[in-house]
Amino acid sequence: MRRFTFYILLFVVAFYCLGPLLWQFITSLKLGAELTRLPPILPDAPTVENYISIFKAYPFLRVIINSFVVAVSTTVLSLVLGSLAAFALAKLDVGRKGLILAFVLSASMFPPIATVSPLYIIITALELRNTLTALIITYTTFSLPLTIWVLTSFFRKIPNEIYLAARVDGCTVFQSFYKIILPLSAPGLFATAILVFIFSWNEFLFALTFTATIKSRTIPVEIALFPGIHEVPWGDIAAASVVVTIPLIILVFALQRRIIEGLTVGAVKG
Amino acid sequence: MIRSKGAQILYLFLFSILVLQGCNRETPPVENDQVTIVFKHGKLAGDPEAFETLIEKFEERNPDIKVKGEVLPSLSDEQHQFYVINLEGKSSDFDVFAMDVIWVPEFARAGWLRDVSNILPTDKRAAFFKAPIEAAVFQGKIYAAPWYIDAGVLYYRKDLLEKYGFTPPGTWEDLVYIASEITRREPGLYGFIWQGKQYEGLVCNALEYMHSHGGDILKDGRIVFDSIDNRQALEFMEDLIYKYRVTPELVTTAVEETTRHIFGTGKAIFMRNWPYAWNIFERDGSIVKGKVGVSLLPSFPGYQSSPTLGGWHLGINKYSDHPKEAERFIEFMTSYEAQKTLSLTVGYKPTRRKLYRDSDLIRAQPFTAKLYDAFEQAIPRPITPYYMMISQILQPEFSAIISRIRKPQEALESGSKQIEFILQLED
Amino acid sequence: MSRRPHVLFLAPAMAVLAAVTIYPIIYVLWLSLHRRLLIFNISKFTGLDNYGFLLRDDRFWNAFYNTAYFTVLSVSLELVLGIAIAVLLDRAFKGKGTMRSIVLIPWAIPTVVSAKMWEWMYNSDFGILNYLLGANINWLGSPIWAINAAVFMDVWKTTPFVALLVMAGLEIIPRDLYNSAKVDGASRWYIFTRITLPLLKPVILIVLIFRTLDAFRVFDAIYVLTGGGPANTTETLSIYAYNMLFQTLQFGYGSTISVTVFFCVGIITILYVRLLRREIE
Repeated sequence: MRRFTFYILLFVVAFYCLGPLLWQFITSLKLGAELTRLPPILPDAPTVENYISIFKAYPFLRVIINSFVVAVSTTVLSLVLGSLAAFALAKLDVGRKGLILAFVLSASMFPPIATVSPLYIIITALELRNTLTALIITYTTFSLPLTIWVLTSFFRKIPNEIYLAARVDGCTVFQSFYKIILPLSAPGLFATAILVFIFSWNEFLFALTFTATIKSRTIPVEIALFPGIHEVPWGDIAAASVVVTIPLIILVFALQRRIIEGLTVGAVKG
Repeated sequence: MIRSKGAQILYLFLFSILVLQGCNRETPPVENDQVTIVFKHGKLAGDPEAFETLIEKFEERNPDIKVKGEVLPSLSDEQHQFYVINLEGKSSDFDVFAMDVIWVPEFARAGWLRDVSNILPTDKRAAFFKAPIEAAVFQGKIYAAPWYIDAGVLYYRKDLLEKYGFTPPGTWEDLVYIASEITRREPGLYGFIWQGKQYEGLVCNALEYMHSHGGDILKDGRIVFDSIDNRQALEFMEDLIYKYRVTPELVTTAVEETTRHIFGTGKAIFMRNWPYAWNIFERDGSIVKGKVGVSLLPSFPGYQSSPTLGGWHLGINKYSDHPKEAERFIEFMTSYEAQKTLSLTVGYKPTRRKLYRDSDLIRAQPFTAKLYDAFEQAIPRPITPYYMMISQILQPEFSAIISRIRKPQEALESGSKQIEFILQLED
Repeated sequence: MSRRPHVLFLAPAMAVLAAVTIYPIIYVLWLSLHRRLLIFNISKFTGLDNYGFLLRDDRFWNAFYNTAYFTVLSVSLELVLGIAIAVLLDRAFKGKGTMRSIVLIPWAIPTVVSAKMWEWMYNSDFGILNYLLGANINWLGSPIWAINAAVFMDVWKTTPFVALLVMAGLEIIPRDLYNSAKVDGASRWYIFTRITLPLLKPVILIVLIFRTLDAFRVFDAIYVLTGGGPANTTETLSIYAYNMLFQTLQFGYGSTISVTVFFCVGIITILYVRLLRREIE
């Protein structure tokens, strides 16, 4: 009975999370007037025309690669910078930790629409307009607060004795960081990585403002380019949202495996 | 050991950034006499190839100029935001750009546009429709050239009107009558749908009732918003939903596409929309293909039909390094020939009157030719640098009327007071 | 031991943050003290005048109320749902990896798209929601429903954020703690409230802070759904600031509204830290 309730709950959760995307998928198989006709829920004659159209009519592959480069670089950069800082804040003797953590947050407390103008001026001054670098730098900045806060909290959870024991065993500060602390915080690192990756994958405002050419265009901006002056090709948009979401989910799934494996290995060793 | 590890990581960063930089840095232009101008515009409907051919033609005739087109999302708000950030940052990244007709005085007042009198001296302006030219003039100078035009029109179900022996309505009262008669006999249909979400489109809709009742917002720089004409017009708009019940409540969230979809599935008798929807209705597989008619919007008795003017203009960035070349490009893009091509390929409605008598165009697009009267009678939204402020005030007021949060009279008073406040800001 | 290496750990992140954020912060603060109306060619320093005007501005208070309502409701719902989902998925079962990936889907869809998607589903004529419910609700058009419809969409979209972080937090709780409690015969609820929740407090604090930060600054989601309507009943502070900054070019006043958001969020964060700190220690 217990198991039964458990699976019912799982199903409810899965349906709640998947439902809208599923509907989006069904929509993406419809054309013309069928898009807005209910019933039927399922299309009479499913078609992949919308999928063909998005790769034919838009430089979609190029854009996906751009987004991928931006998201990976941002994730790596914020994790490296963020974990170093978090380590110092959690385990080392640094003064005014509260103040530093507050400063880290401050830039994320303005509405992005207020900071986009001054940031545009900086990006222009650095001649970074229309480059992916501009986006990577901006996204890293806005991902660092979350990264630092989460990782600081996870590092703190690791008993000081473990860290000190490593030091006594002759590890340098840096060695004890990447050999002991980092592996033990894998779940936190993983969660942060996913959040940062998805944030960079989906960001729209800065991407729209800083990039104007196809060379540096990312997915959300490209999707915003689908509609014409009045007409919104909803079938295409539905197809595109499915296409950009699926790889993300696969990636998460694959990473998850890795992390779980990594964890068990770490546990055995520990 | 620490050093080397740390250093490795650091190198990795620097390296990856450099690599990325390398990927994205554009190749430096080849040194010659050629000038490259950048043309920024919202995404064009339809096949981009036609547009590219047009640009190639220009380059062929002007071998000293190269044109680089850059697209923006076609959403008006997003474009406005993009231009404001760029122009406020004095960007010279683009030379020619397309503006929504309502921005021209605003951008001119902000000092972001070059005067284009060279292209459009007074004697050349008569070739264009009156309204878009008027909308581009600020303090006696013209700041943009009309590129393509839009105006509200009335779509109706030809088949249903014929079936019950009606002709397209000339007055709003007729429309209500026809809609109620047909919905009475054909239940399940909506009578009349239009755009009522809180956004610019709602202002366009509301102004059509006000203008076709002799009302207005500004007259000679003074506010005439709180008037009996306006009140009656807006009361009618509210009554469409709650008294005559020919308009469903869902219009309070509707934009162009919402109404187009509903009409396109054959669920409505009348729809107010822009001309773009026609081609979609006439596509193969459309449920309403061959059943749709288009006419001028109705008016109140004794007044003229008053469609709201839409459309886009071409202007020159004040910070452009190549204003002369930009002028030549705009001259070409707004020429008879270019407008004809754009109309035939992507369906942008020409701003030049004569094109509506062009035999090729009439043959290929009889529908476009029929829009002549709507464009001739189109009325621009208030031509003032602070139009966007007025619209910001009016959007929630109109929305309040059709959601029954405020009575039309209250909305008029409140709106009037707020506009007054803006007007007195100007020193 | 010298403190130099410690600073070296912190320096890169701080350098990036400082380089990119200090200028914008000063820029916005400075503008907020100006009367800057581009189209009237006015640009002068007016001290705190904008803030004075703000206090008397009805539209500001309306937006403030909407923002507060949206934040409180969506953050608390997300927190409850997120923790529930995380706890549900914490135990071992077949297909755990798949489930955890599925849970992330709403967060993975770009906001620009998901807001449009919900607008489509909320449509009262051809939307799937009314069809499935057999109802005829004007979700986005009724002053009562509209803000709640926006909350619901936001909850759907960002619960994964909460769930993901809480799952990570659960993972590092030592299993022995549970086992010894079970041996002592503690009930599930007892274990959850007395062991799990207290140990999760640091993660919950972070989730609260970052969710509040985002919810208080909410923009795209609502802007696409309702545009602030009907009659400004869903206009949030960010939408108001956007309209002032980019629609009507009132850079001074728009910045003032943004600075207000900044301080509100700051105060809330301090409160959170105070409240939860005390309980942690």
